[in-house]
Amino acid sequence: MKTNRVIIIALVVLLVAGGAYYLFQGKNVDNSRVINIAIETDPDSFDPNQSVAAATVEIAFNIYEGLVKATADGNVVGALATHWEVDETETVYTFYLREAIFHNGQPLTVEDVVNALERVRDPQIAQGKADEYQVIESITPLDENTIQIKLSQPYGPFLFNLADFAASIYPKDATGLDANPIGTGPYKFEEWRANQYVKLVRFDDHWSGEQPHFEEVYFKIIPEMASAVISLKAGHVDLIPRLDPSFHHQVVDEEDLKVIPGPMNLVQIIALNNSRPPFNDPRVRQALALAIDKQEVITGAAWGLGDPLYSAISPAMATFFNEELAEVNAYDPERAKALLEEAGYSNLSFTFELPAPYPLHVNAGEIVAQQWAKIGVDVEIRIVEWGTWLERIYSQRDYDATIVGLAGRMDPHLILVRYQTNSSRNFFNFKNERYDELIAQGLVTSGEERIAIYHEAQEILAKEVAGVFVMDPNQLAVMQKDIQGWLNYPIYVVDVAKLSR
Amino acid sequence: MKYYARKTISFVVSLFVITAITFGALQILPGDPALLVLGTEGDPMAVEILREKLGLDDPPLTRYFKWISGVFKGDFGESIRYSTPVSVLLKNAIPVTLSLAFFSVLLAVLIAIPLGITCAVKKGSAWDSFGLIFSQLGMAMPPFWLGILLINFFAVKLGLFPPGGFVSVTTTGVGPFLSSLFLPALALSLPRAAILARMVRASILQTLDQDYIRTARSKGLPHYLVLYKHALRNASVNIFTVAGIQLTQLLAGTIVIEQVFSLPGLGQLLLNGVLQRDLPLVQGLVVVGAGLILFSNLIFDSILGVIDPRIRLD
Repeated sequence: MKTNRVIIIALVVLLVAGGAYYLFQGKNVDNSRVINIAIETDPDSFDPNQSVAAATVEIAFNIYEGLVKATADGNVVGALATHWEVDETETVYTFYLREAIFHNGQPLTVEDVVNALERVRDPQIAQGKADEYQVIESITPLDENTIQIKLSQPYGPFLFNLADFAASIYPKDATGLDANPIGTGPYKFEEWRANQYVKLVRFDDHWSGEQPHFEEVYFKIIPEMASAVISLKAGHVDLIPRLDPSFHHQVVDEEDLKVIPGPMNLVQIIALNNSRPPFNDPRVRQALALAIDKQEVITGAAWGLGDPLYSAISPAMATFFNEELAEVNAYDPERAKALLEEAGYSNLSFTFELPAPYPLHVNAGEIVAQQWAKIGVDVEIRIVEWGTWLERIYSQRDYDATIVGLAGRMDPHLILVRYQTNSSRNFFNFKNERYDELIAQGLVTSGEERIAIYHEAQEILAKEVAGVFVMDPNQLAVMQKDIQGWLNYPIYVVDVAKLSR
Repeated sequence: MKYYARKTISFVVSLFVITAITFGALQILPGDPALLVLGTEGDPMAVEILREKLGLDDPPLTRYFKWISGVFKGDFGESIRYSTPVSVLLKNAIPVTLSLAFFSVLLAVLIAIPLGITCAVKKGSAWDSFGLIFSQLGMAMPPFWLGILLINFFAVKLGLFPPGGFVSVTTTGVGPFLSSLFLPALALSLPRAAILARMVRASILQTLDQDYIRTARSKGLPHYLVLYKHALRNASVNIFTVAGIQLTQLLAGTIVIEQVFSLPGLGQLLLNGVLQRDLPLVQGLVVVGAGLILFSNLIFDSILGVIDPRIRLD
C-alpha cells in the first residue's frame, strides 16, 4: 500500500512539474512572426523532377526558384535570371544570371542551372514532366553568368515552362531533395512531419535583400475541412488557402475572419467519350450540352461560388479567355429534345461515372443527371474511386461519360494541347483537324495573332462539344482579419513572402 | 516459456497470412500506383518509366518475396506517397496511436467503474436510470460527431484544449501532450465507457449475491471496502477482458477520429496508403498493426493472471 502511495505522489508531482514547465518556458520566436497555414494533404516529394501533387507546389513555391517565376496576374518575371534576350527566330534564349546563394550557403553557378535543366528534360529522370521540355535542343553556358538555351522550334509557353516547379534550380551536387529540398527562395525548408506539418523558416540571405514579415511558417496538414475551420475560428490556424465552398457560410459572417474569393483556373468538364456511340454523333453531344443549366449546377454544387465556363479556358486567363462563347449551346432543353429525336436517340441511356472523393464533381454530376432526365435521358450514376478512375477512365478510356476537374496552367497551350487528336491526355477522344492545326500554329506565333488562334480553338471546342464545360469554382482563401497581402495566383501557390500581419 | 514460444510461432504464421492477403487484395483492387502518382497529367511513357522505377513490372510473387525478405532485415521499403522510408513514417505514427488507444481505454475504465458500481448498488434508483440513459446515449453517438461537438465546446467556446493536432511528449512536455490527446481520447472513450459501465453493473450485481460478500459484510468490513476490494476484484476479470478487446480494436483503427482531430497516427497513414495504392506503406502498417495487437493481448493476459491467479498463462 505504501509503495502505491509513493508512486501516485511521484506521478502527480511529475504532471504538475510538466505543466508548470510548459506554462513558464520561454518562447524564442515572437508569435506575430509565425504563420500557420492549413492544407489538406502532405506534399508528395520535394524533388522538382518527381513531384506532381498540387499540395507540394504550393509549399515549394516558397523554397525553390527557377530562372523566371510566375506572378499573380499570370505573367513571368526574372528570378534567378535578372533579364533575358530572345533572338528574332524565337528559338535562342540568352539568360543573365543573378548573384544568389542557396540555402546551404553555396553560391549559384551556371553549372547548377545547366544540371537542373538537363535533368528535367531527361524522361528517365523526370517522368511526367520531361515531355514539356523536349523542345529544348541545347543548354550552353556562355560565361560565368550567361546561359544560352536553343529550342528546336519557336515555343510560346517556354518561359512558363521555365517558371514551373519542375524547372527549379538546386545545387548540382544536392542529393535527397525529395525530403530535404535546397533552393534559393525566400524560405528555407526546416522539417517535414508526415500528417503533421511542413515547417519553413525565413532565409535571410535571399538575393532580393527583402525580409518577409513571417519568420516561421507552418503548413499544417489538416485533412478534415471541418477541423481546419474550427482551428481557424479558435485562432490555431491563420489561413486556409482553399476553403471547401460548403463551409463558406460558416466563416463569411465571422468578425475576426475574412474571405477572399478568386477564380481557381480549374476547368470542370463533363467528358463524353467522343469515339463511342452515341457520343460520336455531334448532335447527341450538343443535345447533352443544351440540357445543362450551368448556373443551377454552380448553385447546387459550389454554393453559387463559381463562374460558368463555355470552353476549356477559364476567365482567370484574362488575355486568352474567349468571352463570346456564352451563347454557344446555352441552356435550351426544348432544342436538346428536338436534337436527340433528330439523331434518333429519343430513348438515350448511358452510364455517368463520378469520381470519389471529390464532392464538387460528384454533386455537380448528380445535378446534371437530373437535368438530363428532364429531356428524357436515362442516366445510370456510378461512383468511381479515384484510383479506378485514373486507370479505367483516364488511361484506358473505357467509359461513356464522366466529370472531372482539370487543373489550370499558366499558358493556354499547356491547357489546350490535351484536346489534340494524338495527345495521350486526350481521354475525351476528341478529333478535329482544324483544331490540331491551330494548336500547332499557336506554338510558333505570338502577340495578337496567338490570341486569335486560341480564341478560334476555344470556339471549336465549344461548338463541337469536345465535352461540356461546366464551371471554374472560386478559390476561397479565408484568413484571420489581420493577415495582409494574400495574392491569388492562376496556379496552386501560397506566396508566403508577400504575407504579413 | 512454452506459452511465449507458441505465441511467437502463431504470430509469424499469421503475419505471413495477413501480409499475403493484403498484398493480394491490393493486386486485385483496380488502380495503378504509377497512374495515381501522375494523375490527370500522366502520359503512357511517363507511366511506363515510373512503373519500372517503382518495381511494379516484376511479377507479383517476386515483389512479395522481395518485400518480405526486406522486412526480416528491418527494411520496410520506401513509401510511394510520402517519398520517405516506411520505417520513419511508422516510428512517428506508432506513439500517437498507442498513446491515444491507451489513454482512451484508461478514460473509459475510469468513467465506467464508478458509474457501473453506483448503478449496481443503487439498483432501480434515479442514479441507475441515469446510468442507463448515459450508456444508451454513449453507444448510440458516433465518435466522430461527438468529436466535433467536443471541439466546438471545449476548444472553440472555452479554449481549454487545442482543436486538433498532436504534440509529442519529448518536444513540449507532458502537459501539452496530454491536452492534445484529451478530446480525441474522450470522444473514443465515451461509447466504450458506456459498454463497460453496463458490464460493471451486471458483474457487480452478480457478485453482490455471493456468499463471500455476505461473509465480508458480516465480519464488519466497511461498505466501500466490501465493494472496491472484494466485489470489484472478482468482477474485474470481466471488465479487463472487455477493456482488452476495446484496446485491440482501437489499435487496429481510429481512422475517423484521427481525421477529425488531425492526429498523425497509423489510421491516417493507412487511409492515404490505400487510396494511393502505396503497397510498401500498407504492408508495413499491417505488420505493425498485427504486432501491436499481439503485444496488447499479451499485456492483458498477464494482467488477468495477476487479478485472478486461477487464470494461468500455461
